[in-house]
Amino acid sequence: MFSVIIYGRNDTHGYNLHKRAAISFNALAEVMSDPDDEILFVDYNTPDDHPTFPEAIADTLTDKARQHMRILRVRPEQHVHLKSRTHLVALESQSRNVALRRSNPRNRWILYTNTDMLLVPRTEGESLSEILGALPDGFYQIPRFEIPEMLWEAAFDRKDAAGNLAKLRDWSVRFHLNQVVHNFMPMKYDALGDFQAVLREDMFAVHGFDESMILGWHCDSNLAARMALYRGRVDTLMDKAFGYHCDHTRVAAANNKGRKTTMNSHDKYIWNVSSPYIPEQAETWGWPDARIEELRLDRDTAYERYVAGLSQAIEPATVPFTNTSVEWHLFDDLTYDLRHTLPFVCDQVLTYPKSTSILVAGCRADFIRRFAAAWRGMGFTGPVLVPQEVGLAVDDPAIRGGRFGDLLKRADLFMFEFGLTTQKIDDPVRVGREETLADRRQLKTVERLFRRAASTEGETRPKGRQTPRRLIGINVIFNKYWPVFTDYVGANINPFCAQVLAGIPLAEPVTMKEKVILKFKKKAG
Amino acid sequence: MAKQGFLKSALAGVGLLRKANAPDFPGIDDPDPERQGQALFRRGRYRMRAGGIEAAVKDFDRAIELLPDYAEARASRAECLDMLGHAEAARPDYAEARRLWAAERTGAPDRSYIWRQQGRLTFEIESYELALERIKTGSYPHSAVGNALMAHGRPAEALKAYERALKIKDKDPALLALKGEALSAMGRYRSAVDAFSASLKAVPRAPEVLSGRAVAYAALGRIDKANVDWRRQLAALPEHQPAARACVALRLGAWAEALPELERAIGKSPDDPYWRLYRLTALKRLDRPFDPVEVPPGGWPAPLFALHAGKATAETVLAAATTEGRRVEALFQLERFKEVVEIAPPSMIEYAAARNQLGR
Repeated sequence: MFSVIIYGRNDTHGYNLHKRAAISFNALAEVMSDPDDEILFVDYNTPDDHPTFPEAIADTLTDKARQHMRILRVRPEQHVHLKSRTHLVALESQSRNVALRRSNPRNRWILYTNTDMLLVPRTEGESLSEILGALPDGFYQIPRFEIPEMLWEAAFDRKDAAGNLAKLRDWSVRFHLNQVVHNFMPMKYDALGDFQAVLREDMFAVHGFDESMILGWHCDSNLAARMALYRGRVDTLMDKAFGYHCDHTRVAAANNKGRKTTMNSHDKYIWNVSSPYIPEQAETWGWPDARIEELRLDRDTAYERYVAGLSQAIEPATVPFTNTSVEWHLFDDLTYDLRHTLPFVCDQVLTYPKSTSILVAGCRADFIRRFAAAWRGMGFTGPVLVPQEVGLAVDDPAIRGGRFGDLLKRADLFMFEFGLTTQKIDDPVRVGREETLADRRQLKTVERLFRRAASTEGETRPKGRQTPRRLIGINVIFNKYWPVFTDYVGANINPFCAQVLAGIPLAEPVTMKEKVILKFKKKAG
Repeated sequence: MAKQGFLKSALAGVGLLRKANAPDFPGIDDPDPERQGQALFRRGRYRMRAGGIEAAVKDFDRAIELLPDYAEARASRAECLDMLGHAEAARPDYAEARRLWAAERTGAPDRSYIWRQQGRLTFEIESYELALERIKTGSYPHSAVGNALMAHGRPAEALKAYERALKIKDKDPALLALKGEALSAMGRYRSAVDAFSASLKAVPRAPEVLSGRAVAYAALGRIDKANVDWRRQLAALPEHQPAARACVALRLGAWAEALPELERAIGKSPDDPYWRLYRLTALKRLDRPFDPVEVPPGGWPAPLFALHAGKATAETVLAAATTEGRRVEALFQLERFKEVVEIAPPSMIEYAAARNQLGR
């Protein structure tokens, strides 16, 4: 019957976002009763190495919310063409249009709201699907009522959606929450963007939200202005449902700088709107040709993929624990426990698109073989690109060989592994093993390829790609490859146990020597 | 246009003004039920905003007595009853208002959106006029008022509103198209063509503007030029608007093109009898067989289905056609195309279809 369209990203937009959003997602699902109903969450511009926002809080969502939710992931690479034109990291019009284009065509209604709203049908037991199903065509709004920050934070149980709606029925009376704030037409109510029910067909006819509005604010008012023209009237649904907003002004959100807030022009986008249509985006709104990844919380989850991948690559441990060491005298020992390290390696790649092409240059053939198996098991469809210069004969359906110079231009992601080519899977780890000649040769080759990849990343990107590619280093903590890797890559300090560092290439490679000189210069200055 | 309703109600909080400038409501004693009903509605809204909810209910009661189909008054009375805590009593009014709005037949889906608006729009006109007191550099309230006036059948006043909007947003293609619609509705077809052409210069593929100009051309007797615009409109209309595409094809008398679009339109809106009626028309014009005709229950256009089913005569159908529009529809289904062209407004689908049929 209806598609709810909301958007956001995996960041910290305002106070206690995780709780607000979980309360809201669960409450929205609670008032759905038609199997076609859906919550379309557009996860806009979350960094590639992070999960989407709903995935990050999936454990706090009800089964019903997980079943109704479809996550549409807009990658940073898909946003980059707009980056220079806006200070915002998540764009409302683009997000809402991407979802509209991909909404369930069987649904008659689109409901635009936000990730901090609870909708309470006035007749207990009635669902929003039933309410919308009985409505004649039109454009409907409801007034927004505020919930004091303390109330939702302290009293709501995220997973008890029905209980939260019942609490609101009580609080609305006890605490006089229900105050309608009227507004100039065509807005009808204040904060109108928290409930705008529009026919899907109408939204297609008017070409969606105005995608030139990239400075934040007033996208909802612009839609109201255009729909009020198109339909002639803005109707209320106040007799059927109340909408409650989890107030979150303790901490200002990124788009709220008080009097200094940058906004879309009120005059241009409301008071000088002259048509419901936006002919200049008639063919392009919602990015019809863009490949937008869709993720679910009720099937093929990241965890399920992770488990499937690793089960292809490693067997369960047969001992209660294993050992390694960061004692100084072991600094030059490059052995590591592959079975322990692989789960941390897979963790680095799981959030990338399934079509990703990853270039893997390593010293250990068993590392490449097991990683390739895990890669396939995790459902990746892109290839594992192994440069012929590495000289390791590894056979796997995911692996594609080739010249490093060619593969550089095809890769979306890089992985460099600095282990001992002579190490076997059951060899002891960190017991003072020295490199052999074969190890040294192999390490030199991988180091050379790494330096080339990192220092030429900007010039070798696949055609059309604008965002920098990430480099993952394996066995680069507390050994001689830590300075090598961090000279080129802006990586965090990670625990030794994980063995893995990752980041994007630094604008200018910095050698440790230079760092020391700079430090002395600073002291002298 | 009456400004007193919302403007003064907005200022009602200012004590002095509230006492000094008590608004009057022209038409409140008018014997014409329409004028009196609308005046009562305006006073009811004023009282509502001033906190006199019970008095407002009385005004809405009276307005509804005078004009039982006054959906806006029912919606406002519902809101008042709801505010007073009588949610149960409010519910039938909310529902009835929606039913009344939905029951109004809207304009053809290939025409400008302004022809598809339902209701008296009294509330909207007053609200936008209130906005105009604060918004001096915005064209929006002017054009919105103009659209509401068009829906009321007052194109001359609408034209003035659009011209005010154009003073603020000079040469805006959308406003020029609205001006064209107003001129066309006033019978000033040559000026309408000029306005539409100016609009199309900026946005050449605007389907509704092409439709507006086509209608104006057809009214000027230039069916050839009209057909060119309708062809361009058909090419510009997206696949997901089968009803609009069907209407354009019908105007062109392109029955074979209309048929699949009508079938898709029926799939989307199975309750709309007109798509089924036009489908029968197209099948008949194409000499194709059709299933036994089911006559829908209720009033118009059921007699037209009865005609196709062989259950009604030309005389009974024409007798049932109690308005000008229905008479045109009846004559068209009777294939009396010459008469259709003589009496139909040029904006009707039947007018263009008959012109094109006669031209073959």
